Amino acid sequence: MPSPEVANKVRDAITALKGADLKDPRLGEVLNLASQMSEAMQMFFSSLDRSLFDEMRYISSYIQRTRLEISNLRPNDLSEDRIPGAGAELHAVVQHTAEATNLIMAVAEDVMAADTSDPAAYQAFVSDKMMEIFEACTFQDITGQRIKKVVDTLTHIEQRLERFASVMGVEDAELEETLEDKRKRENLLNGPALNGPEVAQDDIDALFGTEGASMDQSDLDALFD
Amino acid sequence: MAVDMNAPVLVVDDYQTMVRIIRNLLKQLGFENVDEAADGREALEKMKKTKYGLVISDWNMEPMTGYELLREVRADEILKPTPFIMVTAESKTENVIAAKKAGVNNYIVKPFNAQTLKAKIASVLGDF
Repeated sequence: MPSPEVANKVRDAITALKGADLKDPRLGEVLNLASQMSEAMQMFFSSLDRSLFDEMRYISSYIQRTRLEISNLRPNDLSEDRIPGAGAELHAVVQHTAEATNLIMAVAEDVMAADTSDPAAYQAFVSDKMMEIFEACTFQDITGQRIKKVVDTLTHIEQRLERFASVMGVEDAELEETLEDKRKRENLLNGPALNGPEVAQDDIDALFGTEGASMDQSDLDALFD
Repeated sequence: MAVDMNAPVLVVDDYQTMVRIIRNLLKQLGFENVDEAADGREALEKMKKTKYGLVISDWNMEPMTGYELLREVRADEILKPTPFIMVTAESKTENVIAAKKAGVNNYIVKPFNAQTLKAKIASVLGDF
């Protein structure tokens, strides 16, 4: 009910009381009851105020703590510096590895196509080409250092996220499968296994019957163990 | 029946380095007529124009994977008989079984050596 309307109703009630017979015992009972109800309402609202205040204070402190923890994650540093930096390092690794591999293959192709009719000239040529291969192999030291920087960045992110999740009591939410995830699942795009092939070439050979006996159902079942 | 060493071989891989390695190995084995494609879609287009004696394909490529290429090839009445070897780092059991079920003739796990490639080609085409 709007405030002016309430005020009007109270004003009307007071006017009615002034005009009433105050000695009427029924009116006394009504006033007594109104007084008790008023006290009860006052107690209820004061407790409501306190619990609301406590709740608001808790929420405020939680937001402050969350802001502090997010700040400790240094999200701007991660998104503007560390993650792009790690991406650039990995890109450089891929580029240097490909360049070195192509250089080594080109040298090998030159050696295989070389004229062998003059042994002395051939030996000198091969010797020069071997030096080129050694030089190309220096990429390994640089890529090793680059990969170490990427690993350091990942470790840094892992530690901060771990602390954040622990402090905030965060649990992993269920995620909906994206189109990319669906394609990966349907096309069995698992990528290379970490510690070498999951199924060895010998086991695959047995499955295709190219070397040794063909696989029977029990061998096939064993692949799934 | 003798292996036709002049029959074109199609190497499908999105890594040019790997294409170059396989091309060199094939050359060493006596296959001079080697063609290449960077993914399954390009390979399928080439296969519809040229009859290849062998397809050697990677699995993980975009926009069409080697697995999708294999299924397309086996579903096509004309392309169906083309020998198909998968050369891939996908080494999970489910991948090998899926490829076998889809009709792959042989499966090589990366990294591999020349001897393995030769043995698998021989198992598919016959000794050469």
